[in-house]
Amino acid sequence: MNEGLDTSLTVVLAKLEKRFGGRLRKQTECCGDLTITVEPEDWMRVLSFCRSARELAFDQLDCLLGDHLPERTGAPFEVVVHLLSHTHGHRLRVTTPLAEGQDLPTITGLWPSAGFDEREAWEMYGIVFAGHPDLRRLLTTEDFEGFPMRKDFPLRGTVGGRIRTDLRGKI
Amino acid sequence: MGVMDDPLRRPSDAEVGAALQQNEVMGGPVRLPGGIALPVQIERVLGFGRSFSFWPLLFGLACCAIEMMALGGSRFDMARFGMEAMRASPRQADGMIVAGWCTIKMAPRVVRLYEQIPDPKWVLAMGSCAVSGNVWDTYHVVQGIDSLIPVDVYVPGCPPRPEALWQGLEMIRDRVKQSRHAYDGLRRIPAREVLLHGEPRP
Ligand code: SF4
Repeated sequence: MNEGLDTSLTVVLAKLEKRFGGRLRKQTECCGDLTITVEPEDWMRVLSFCRSARELAFDQLDCLLGDHLPERTGAPFEVVVHLLSHTHGHRLRVTTPLAEGQDLPTITGLWPSAGFDEREAWEMYGIVFAGHPDLRRLLTTEDFEGFPMRKDFPLRGTVGGRIRTDLRGKI
Repeated sequence: MGVMDDPLRRPSDAEVGAALQQNEVMGGPVRLPGGIALPVQIERVLGFGRSFSFWPLLFGLACCAIEMMALGGSRFDMARFGMEAMRASPRQADGMIVAGWCTIKMAPRVVRLYEQIPDPKWVLAMGSCAVSGNVWDTYHVVQGIDSLIPVDVYVPGCPPRPEALWQGLEMIRDRVKQSRHAYDGLRRIPAREVLLHGEPRP
């Protein structure tokens, strides 16, 4: 299954499997890219391992995304991080499924750049990142109602985002 | 004391209300500091001069800005008409090209930029998004920038070709020569209405 992977990614996978064993839910490999799925409880441990282990050394967080998959009734949400290591030049995706209302520990302590990404994932999908220093709306106005990237949010009409803010403080 | 005299100062509720009571009208003839209106011939001469050095605000909101840049580049070259100096400061600009969709988050900034441009000023709404919101009848796009600021010329298209924008700018130059502005006769700019009532007029 792993013949498409770079040697450094094979090392990454072996290391992760050795460290976390059966706790990794799934690993998929596509076009030479590796994706691992972890339980939300292991989120922090896996990611800090990714950041600190010498053979992994993922020193950059490319992006952190949310996702809404309503057909997965048990855990309709998903958080994905894309990691990049400048030392080894390899990339990794780590995802975790989340139930409605379940929160996830923030990773701003590992990569400070996660701050904006987590704010965006929160405002678009309503995924709460516990311990985030400043969880405010980022791209929508602060009195916006609802989470616009959820699949059940109405496509048409400026629902939730009508110009209701007091513009005076802003102009 | 007009509401619009000092764009940096935020008028209080009472002041805005009083200005609306007095039906204060914007625009009108150019006035000297003493309040004397300039003769219309002199205004025409001024307008003629202005029309050859119309400096738009260097400001693009979305994909339409790419076509605006194309117009600024050497192929279409709006420098031929004295428009090459896109000013990065609204204080030095003569008008703005609203190029692209304006999100609700961005709307207060656009209105602020508009108010910071000294009179006389002209606004060109470029692209279907700035004109009417285009297909983005969604949660975050202002459905037409004219619900917030007075617009002189609309250039539809997604995006408009640089030639279309050029024609729009020619129409703006005609208005500059004639000293006609979109805000002439307006009691207040639409964004102020949002301040008062929470919603732009439909
Ligand atoms: S009109 Fe088209 S090109 Fe212009 S901002 Fe809208 S979507 Fe982009």
